[in-house]
Amino acid sequence: MKLYCLSGHPTLPCNVLKFKSTTIMLDCGLDTTSVLNFLPLPLVHSPRLSKLPGWVSKDGSANLQKELKECAGRVFVDSQPEFCLPERELLDLSTIDVILISNYHCMMALPYITEHTGFTGTVYATEPTLTIGRLFMEELVNFMERVPKAQSATCWKNKEMQRMLPGPLKDVVDVWAWKRSYSIQEVNSALSKVQLVGYSQKVELFGAVQVSPLSSGYSLGSSNWIIQSHHEKVSYVSGSSLLTTHPQPMDQSSLKNSDVLILTGLTQMPTANPDGMLGEFCSNLAMTIRAGGNVLVPCYSSGVIYDLLECLYQFIDSANLGTTPFYFISPVANSSLEFSQIFAEWLCHNKQSKVYLPEPPFPHAELIQTNKLKHYPSIHGDFSSEFRQPCVVFTGHPSLRFGDVVHFMELWGKSSINTIIFTEPDFSYLDALAPYQPLAMKCVYCPIDTRLNFHQVSKLLKEVQPLHVVCPEQYTQPPLTQSHRSDLMLELQPPPMPYRRCSVLNLPHRRRYERVYILPELANSLVPSEIKPGVSLATVSAVLHSKDNKHTLQLVPKPPPVAPSKKRKRVLEEPPAVLAPKTLLSGAVPLEAFLATLQNHGFTEVKVEETADGHILHLQAEDTLIQLEEDGTHIVCDNNEPLRTTLRDLVLRFLQKL
Amino acid sequence: MDRECALLLPGVCAVLAGSGSSLPDDTSLEKLLDWFTGITEDGGSLLETCPCLLKLISTVVHNAASDPGVLSFTLRLTGLLAATEESFKTIQEHPVLNKVFNLQHWQEAGLWEDPCLRIGWIQGLRSMLQHPKALSFFVQSGFIDPLLQLQTDTSLFIAEAANQMLAHILLFFQPVPPAGCKGMDKKEKGDGMTPSSADYTAVVKSISGYLKESLVPKESKNVRQSLQTLKLLALLLAQAGPPLRDKLLQTVGDSLEELVTAGSSELTLPLMDVILSACSSGTDERITRLLSSMLNINKPADLIHAAAAFLRRGHHDTVHTARAVRILLLPLDIMTGQTLLGTISTADEHQFSVVEQLKSKSSCISMICVCLSNTPQITLTPPDVLPCLPVSIVTAVLSLLRICSGNSPSSSTGCSEVSRNVIGSSKVQKCALEALTTLTSSPGAKERISEVFTVLIQYLENPDSDPTVLHKSYQALLKWTSVCTDFSFITDQLRHDLVEVVKKRVCDMRWEVKDSTVEFLGHLAGVCDSIKAAAEERDASEALLGDCSTTPLLREALQDSESYVRASAISALAKTLTHRWQQGATLTEEEPEIVSRLLEILSQDSEGFPRRAVVQYFISWYSSHSPPSSSSSSSSSSSSSLLMQSVRSVLSQGRADLDWEVKVHTLVLAELLLDEAFSGHPGYKKGSDSHHASPHAYGVVSEQAYTLHTHTATHTEGAESDLAVVVEQGVVSVLLSGLVDCDRPVALKACRLLITLRETVCPLSLGALDASAAMATVSCELPGCGWGREILKILKMKKSDQAKEEDIADQSGLNGAEEGGDSVCVSVCEALRSLGLDERMEVLTQSSDHIHNSPLSLLQDILTASATHTKPGEEVIVDCY
Repeated sequence: MKLYCLSGHPTLPCNVLKFKSTTIMLDCGLDTTSVLNFLPLPLVHSPRLSKLPGWVSKDGSANLQKELKECAGRVFVDSQPEFCLPERELLDLSTIDVILISNYHCMMALPYITEHTGFTGTVYATEPTLTIGRLFMEELVNFMERVPKAQSATCWKNKEMQRMLPGPLKDVVDVWAWKRSYSIQEVNSALSKVQLVGYSQKVELFGAVQVSPLSSGYSLGSSNWIIQSHHEKVSYVSGSSLLTTHPQPMDQSSLKNSDVLILTGLTQMPTANPDGMLGEFCSNLAMTIRAGGNVLVPCYSSGVIYDLLECLYQFIDSANLGTTPFYFISPVANSSLEFSQIFAEWLCHNKQSKVYLPEPPFPHAELIQTNKLKHYPSIHGDFSSEFRQPCVVFTGHPSLRFGDVVHFMELWGKSSINTIIFTEPDFSYLDALAPYQPLAMKCVYCPIDTRLNFHQVSKLLKEVQPLHVVCPEQYTQPPLTQSHRSDLMLELQPPPMPYRRCSVLNLPHRRRYERVYILPELANSLVPSEIKPGVSLATVSAVLHSKDNKHTLQLVPKPPPVAPSKKRKRVLEEPPAVLAPKTLLSGAVPLEAFLATLQNHGFTEVKVEETADGHILHLQAEDTLIQLEEDGTHIVCDNNEPLRTTLRDLVLRFLQKL
Repeated sequence: MDRECALLLPGVCAVLAGSGSSLPDDTSLEKLLDWFTGITEDGGSLLETCPCLLKLISTVVHNAASDPGVLSFTLRLTGLLAATEESFKTIQEHPVLNKVFNLQHWQEAGLWEDPCLRIGWIQGLRSMLQHPKALSFFVQSGFIDPLLQLQTDTSLFIAEAANQMLAHILLFFQPVPPAGCKGMDKKEKGDGMTPSSADYTAVVKSISGYLKESLVPKESKNVRQSLQTLKLLALLLAQAGPPLRDKLLQTVGDSLEELVTAGSSELTLPLMDVILSACSSGTDERITRLLSSMLNINKPADLIHAAAAFLRRGHHDTVHTARAVRILLLPLDIMTGQTLLGTISTADEHQFSVVEQLKSKSSCISMICVCLSNTPQITLTPPDVLPCLPVSIVTAVLSLLRICSGNSPSSSTGCSEVSRNVIGSSKVQKCALEALTTLTSSPGAKERISEVFTVLIQYLENPDSDPTVLHKSYQALLKWTSVCTDFSFITDQLRHDLVEVVKKRVCDMRWEVKDSTVEFLGHLAGVCDSIKAAAEERDASEALLGDCSTTPLLREALQDSESYVRASAISALAKTLTHRWQQGATLTEEEPEIVSRLLEILSQDSEGFPRRAVVQYFISWYSSHSPPSSSSSSSSSSSSSLLMQSVRSVLSQGRADLDWEVKVHTLVLAELLLDEAFSGHPGYKKGSDSHHASPHAYGVVSEQAYTLHTHTATHTEGAESDLAVVVEQGVVSVLLSGLVDCDRPVALKACRLLITLRETVCPLSLGALDASAAMATVSCELPGCGWGREILKILKMKKSDQAKEEDIADQSGLNGAEEGGDSVCVSVCEALRSLGLDERMEVLTQSSDHIHNSPLSLLQDILTASATHTKPGEEVIVDCY
């Protein structure tokens, strides 16, 4: 059993598991933090961005004025943003049989894998994962394609050049593997390979293993996966949550008795408690609105935004914000809000039961109905005519590099009465804000990450008790910035196996058993004999037939009856005479009793010597040795066959025959 | 006992003797007993006044079918009757006494199983044991052993009562110690009270023998007995005089030592109690040794509790105090890495076991909390006892607070394995904040004030802080602000942080947080005012919050959806503005807006708290504003006119409010107006409440005496114009409507004020001609419905009574009243005189259950209940209808 780790990002994993004869890719996360090195893509021409000076090294030797721009002491690539793909050199990705997707955040690299590697397998995901994942991809493509950039910067990637660049550009690795966004055709083609599954549905892979998704409680349709054969069980735990938010609660009990548990997707903000952050979000929002400012919330178009809206739904009245407009701007805003209402079976119990009332499960329906929440595909069109301030705007992308959020940053950034509230934990807010400096706007960081924290995960592991745990190396030590917080790491016995990008782990679990079927006719012919109470043995002679990873023992084909033909038989063609199988012996030779027997049979001069494994009996008169060991008996005599036979028979008296 | 009761009592006795099952309710026996106890305590002799009681006792005792409740009552009654030596003799002449307390009798009757009876037996004896004769009876009857057995009764109440009883016997009858010795109060004992020493010695002997025996648990299940015994011993040792104390210690000394050595966790605290009680009543080498051993037991958790118990008792034994202090500081030292104890010399075994204990989360939290709650006390111990400067303890608490919130710098030297147990624990946070609040008074604490502020602001800032933790942080901040004299340490950054966090918390999702923040702003204004008054320092509020005015925040909070927050915002606004009002500062633009919002709340808010707060807002405004005469500026008078204008609305709206507290507050405001109007008048008595107020059941009327502004203007024009002003302001209407209010506290307050007013403007003592001639011209209007109609009704009734008596036919009905449309005008003086205020006052001062609470009513109830009970036929007939 081997694990190939193609991504080093603990929450955007991409691992390949080789198990029995299958090759399974677990998640296909796309590391988008690379876009932070690029200049934002403004929706409308931004004089500020276009006037940024080009970068020239101090001694003037490197001139990348066209490709790199400087803003507030940092250098950004002026080009279409690029993403850091999972490692493609570690193994031949065309050999992958299936890809299991655990949630819509962890599938963004799918088109890169399915379209450009010769992949011919199947992708398994739940329905909401596919639907919302598609929305995310379409949104990404839309963000990129509506502001096309003619130029594609590559000179800076030159090794010689890169070495001269200032940090953090200097330190990024594998820049040649960075790729621009895929196209909508690639998205469609990739998603056409997805096969839908439901929670606890069992999918057979080539008869060798069975995979099945379990609810993970993190987002709509998010799942953990169980990969099991008859004798082995591997659990794959990706983004999971034990908090009561909108999705179905996490299924913990099915993870019990795993041989190996692969653990990824823990919270990226172990010190930020989601409840506290939600409170912080609301109070900062109210504070800004009361002071007459606008609030900008850069966010993804699905997920936490549902919880934010639900929380605001209750908060609006108590904080006297009833008249403040809330805008949700995304090319997929409408679909996201609508889809969330129809995935009833994937919701938490509380919301499911609302469907039967019948009421929309999420209160954002009411916000829309009462005109408190309005959604638009982009800032162009209707939005511009209905825009009123002060207001609250939810829009993407959380990296602040593309999407409508760029426009609002340019619009509101100069005034200190406005506030930007970061709720998505994926990007460092300081890095995200870097190309907007100097910035007067107030910044609040309330990352809301509902994924398991270390406290919860250690409780979970105590309960499900896997034999071995595999996790990203980041989880095995306290976070860099808080090295004293020994409570923010995994402490397990035996210690977890850490991995990093490009690791290949030999999982410690050794396969010991395989299931083999016996045909009834063959079973009938067996003659079991009891060797211990309750344990019977029988010898089997059969032909092992393997097909589709199923093994069957069949009767040995009878030799064709000797044809009365007159043809001369060729010796070689004749089936070997079926020898009667030798009887198998079991048991041990008791020393005292054996010595007595020898005595009875006239072997009087016996010298017994104790060895590490047993005893050596030296029959001095016959100059013969009998070695009695736990798993064998040897009679060493010099060319005296009758004596050997006699002695052999004496030994056999003490053994059981099968 | 009045005659009526004396007449009813025999009947009641008969009922009780018959069967107890017909009692109206299960408290009636208790009430009856209370009544008897009251009579006895007043020096009355029940035996003489009610011979029927003795008969009752003998009947009940001989009736095996008596209800256990009645039996228990009888036992206690007997004890009560026999409480004096004289009556004891009388009872003893009857054979009844032996029978009543005869254990064997009750056991044979199978009634002893009933806990009711057992407690009756103990309490009866307890009441009786007030004189030597009773003690002799007690000893001779051999009651001591059964009593000792009851000490471990299955019922906790009985066991406790037995313990109290045992302590009572030993302490009450202990020989009077020589003068000058510390002993118990001997007032109750006369000269002839000394019991025969033989009886007392016997009692002491058996009890102390028992103590010695039962102190050390034979098996683990006997721990309860040891616990009880320890409790008894602690009771005894705390009050025993030297001979008894010495005797007890001599007897139980060995057992105590054995217990200390055994070191049972369960017994640690009670044992410590006993030892400390022994210490407090005198010094003794052995006890000191025991104390030392207690402070050296090797279970860290027990030890820490023992040390805390020692410190709380406030002994001044240097050696032990130093030891206890070290014990209590050790966990803090380990956790925070602050060297509180100096360098710990050797590889201290104790320290090792404490660290081990701290590694477990639950015991860590409990131990740290004990340490924290004792830190303020520790800092106050003499410097030679303290292993470190008091200020280091403040530092340690601060660094613990940082650890708790996960903000501790990674360079912290504390034990990380231990400190992770308290990260995020709001229990420890609260304890530490409480400790920090109290630590303001420790010497040198002020050196750390800047650090304290930083940590507290961090706590307020922390998104994960529990609402209660935030509340405690605010309290700590206020306390530290109040002791601060120099605000120069507050940097711009600190100020900015505080302002930002307060602004944010005012918008919190949790109403508790909003409420504590708003409250904090109010208190801060109060604290700042007092600092300013004391030291003429720079404005503390400004120092803390910079030029950020809190008024807009509070005004916003007036709109809050939670009524508590609105109420807190209103009182905080009042506190914030008080200073301006006192100075007679000019009216700001926002004040009229605030006032109109407040009046809106008073008239529309559905919750009582904000409405009450509104009235109180105006009370404090009115009582702190400068009177217009002393202020020269016209803008200030506009402030005054706004006040007077709004006060009028408050009076008329508050009067009609549904909440009785709002109405009472409105009356307080009316009183202030009265005070202002008449304070120059010779007949006016200010603060009418404080003179003839008897505390009444609900304690509503604020006890606070309002200190009023100095009122310099003299009223030469006389009371007439003042009365007119008061009428015009609507004060009289408030008082009159209050008088007929259905809520007693309102009516009471109104009645008192009306009487005061009457005494001022038209006292009854003066001839009717004298004042009323002029006063009669002042009249007020009564509405034709509601309270106006009520008042008119009273007036008419009085008038017609008068008319009958004087036989004067007066067709118009009322002299001063002119009926005009719906509303009616009445002369104020006429009304004040005719309302029968004094009789009304008498009725109102009696509590509403005074009729039903009398012994007479109790006796009647018992009789009535038995009557209906014995005639079931009647009920059946009624049912048939």
